Amino acid sequence: MSKKPAKGEYIETDTGNKVSRKCQIVGSTNIILGGKTIIQAEVIIRGDLIRTLPSSRSASSGAAQSNVAVAIGRYCFFSTGSALRPPGKLFQGQFSHYPLKIGDHVYVGPSSVVEAALIGNHVHIGQGCVIGKFAIIKDFVKILDGTIIPPNMVIPSFSIVGGRPGRVVGEIPEGGHEAFDLRELYKTIKNS
Amino acid sequence: MDHFTPYTYFQCPCTDNSISIRNIGHLESTRADHDDEDERTFDPKAPRANFSLYPLDHLLYCEICHEIRCPRCALDEIVTWYCPNCLFEVPSSTVKSEGNRCTRSCFQCPVCVAPLSVNSEAPAPTGLGAEHAGPAGPFVLSCSFCCWSSAEIGIKFEKPNSIFSQLAKIKNGGDPILSAKQRRLDREERRRDFSDASIPEDAQEVLPLDPNEQLDAEAQFSNLKSFYQSQLADASPASALGFGGEYGYGSPGALTRIMGLYTGGGLADKRSQSKSTPMREACDATEGLQLAKTNADEDLAKLRREGWEGTVSKEQRCEQAHEPHFVSDLRPIAALLRTKRSKRCKSCRHILSKPESKVQNTRFRIRLLAMNYIPTITIKPLQPVLPGQSSLLSPMKPTQFVLTFKNPLYDAVNVSIATPSQTPGRYSSKVTVLCPQFEVGAYIEDAWDDVLREPGEKGGEKERRRTRAETFEGQQQAEAGKVWESGRNWVSVVVEIVPATVGPESGPAFLTEGLEQDNSPMKEDEDILEIPVFVRLEWETDPAHDDGLGAPVSKDKEAKVKRELAYWCVLGVGRIAQV
Ligand SMILES: [Zn+2]
Ligand SMILES: [Zn+2]
Ligand SMILES: [Zn+2]
Ligand SMILES: [Zn+2]
Repeated sequence: MSKKPAKGEYIETDTGNKVSRKCQIVGSTNIILGGKTIIQAEVIIRGDLIRTLPSSRSASSGAAQSNVAVAIGRYCFFSTGSALRPPGKLFQGQFSHYPLKIGDHVYVGPSSVVEAALIGNHVHIGQGCVIGKFAIIKDFVKILDGTIIPPNMVIPSFSIVGGRPGRVVGEIPEGGHEAFDLRELYKTIKNS
Repeated sequence: MDHFTPYTYFQCPCTDNSISIRNIGHLESTRADHDDEDERTFDPKAPRANFSLYPLDHLLYCEICHEIRCPRCALDEIVTWYCPNCLFEVPSSTVKSEGNRCTRSCFQCPVCVAPLSVNSEAPAPTGLGAEHAGPAGPFVLSCSFCCWSSAEIGIKFEKPNSIFSQLAKIKNGGDPILSAKQRRLDREERRRDFSDASIPEDAQEVLPLDPNEQLDAEAQFSNLKSFYQSQLADASPASALGFGGEYGYGSPGALTRIMGLYTGGGLADKRSQSKSTPMREACDATEGLQLAKTNADEDLAKLRREGWEGTVSKEQRCEQAHEPHFVSDLRPIAALLRTKRSKRCKSCRHILSKPESKVQNTRFRIRLLAMNYIPTITIKPLQPVLPGQSSLLSPMKPTQFVLTFKNPLYDAVNVSIATPSQTPGRYSSKVTVLCPQFEVGAYIEDAWDDVLREPGEKGGEKERRRTRAETFEGQQQAEAGKVWESGRNWVSVVVEIVPATVGPESGPAFLTEGLEQDNSPMKEDEDILEIPVFVRLEWETDPAHDDGLGAPVSKDKEAKVKRELAYWCVLGVGRIAQV
């Protein structure tokens, strides 16, 4: 870590992920990246916050309990200074974290903090947003800059959300679906 | 402030441009005479223009009418009702009977509108088997954003589920709300007592309801409704003729009344007229009468005690059913249902878009997007704005922009564009399109593109791009009547603009003759340079292309159909620097 980054800014993995040398990934063994995902500088991903409370199902199957803290799909983009944290809560007197799952084509803007339980596919989160604990964001959702999504909020598909606390302020038009595709954005990130 | 993203808005042809909309909202009337000669020029700054301009992704296209369709000329049809919080579908019959709110446990905070969650007030169970024990009551609705809790209005629940029906039975403060059924039973009892009329003093004691009770709006409405229903039943001539409870058109009572209506007063049955007695009005709370409070001492005292903090804001008040004044009167807001809607063409009723009916399915069965039928139009400066450089346009300095048309059709399209030489409005900029007529090639699927492309060739055989050096010398290079750059299905042309002088002190730069100078202060966004562009498209197509499989495939190559489409667009170019 103390070595000066000799080559380009990004380390490219076999599956096409481009991870900045200046980002902070903690507990990388508990993080799944689907591929073709960009992680920019100063991004923090807390893979160390794994679930400590055994779920009722895995308790019976024993060792089958997975240690995934953060699961990320394909073509995601995490901008400079954004943070991904698995959400945690007190349940029946015991505190535990729960996995954070993110689908495909999810853009997280600069300096936004995500503590959701689930983010679907084709989601755009603007700059300086806070996605509260255990929030669920469905497919094709746009979160405007500076929005604060309260904990436990469910946001249905095709919503435009803004404000503090965030509320649905509009609907994604029929022709707005393609704009969520991040393949072109992926191509613009090059090691130069 | 310095950031500006150029935009293109399309005007749906359903807009009526025949009326000059220029002068609406303008103070001076002298302009009206001048407008006649060019009233067809669309003014994007006119107050009404906002209602007819849409980004391309908001527009649909009718394949039967061959026309653009906007939210104003498409009809919405509800496919599915669902709760945005629990995502459960609500049958439309339930919506009709129960209303358009979720009747499960989905509520919003009355203070900040964040979602409320159900929490147990009791401490977590401890000891043996604690992890298997369910949470114990009582439960409250609490907001994790502003920390409001239903305990603040004195409402607690026994069960953690079906909060809606539990809440319907509790008043703020914890007193039970009598259900409509309870009220009805009580009323029946009361009526019996009155008909007895032998011991009226005792009857008052039997009644559990206070005739001076303060009712909430729902209870008042249900009391009033049942009172008038009973009054109608009593006064009905049908009951007088021995057909109690019968309201059909066939009943003799109804028939006499209808005949009376149609034959005028003269022939009306005198017997029934004499029998009808004037209806009484409600006279106490049990019948739905609520006297207006004549002294507000109680409210005033509360206002003094709780102060500003104890009153509701306008936003909070609007969300509530009965517009309360005090925070202590707020009720949790049941989640408003959302809909999935399909859209139809207003003139031919053809379906333009239809989503899958399942709540969680995001696919569409039909989606006829305008962007698949008309070219996308983008505008950007010819000389890219360097980092650190201001993106504001310099007044009076000729600046060149690149206007790009990209064709989504499988047929080549002839495009002609027209702009007024001076933009409408007070701050009038000069606009020159160097090449107003050109052809844009047909769209070819990516897979075909690769096949057609020669190996080693970078951008397809038709592509013509400028190098950076050429762009730098663009000022000299751009020639009138020539396309700037082009690709297989796109063409760029150069537009030269001389921005107006904008500022509170400076007069309009290109003051048109005969116009009086308007010295009113600059309005919001009046410094944004917007160019109205009239676009006309002409192309020839195989009718089988757009009519689907139903049309017989013509072998004759000449049997092509001519199509034409014309509409106004507005290009948002940039903000002009103020002097
Ligand atoms: Zn329209
Ligand atoms: Zn619900
Ligand atoms: Zn709140
Ligand atoms: Zn139509």
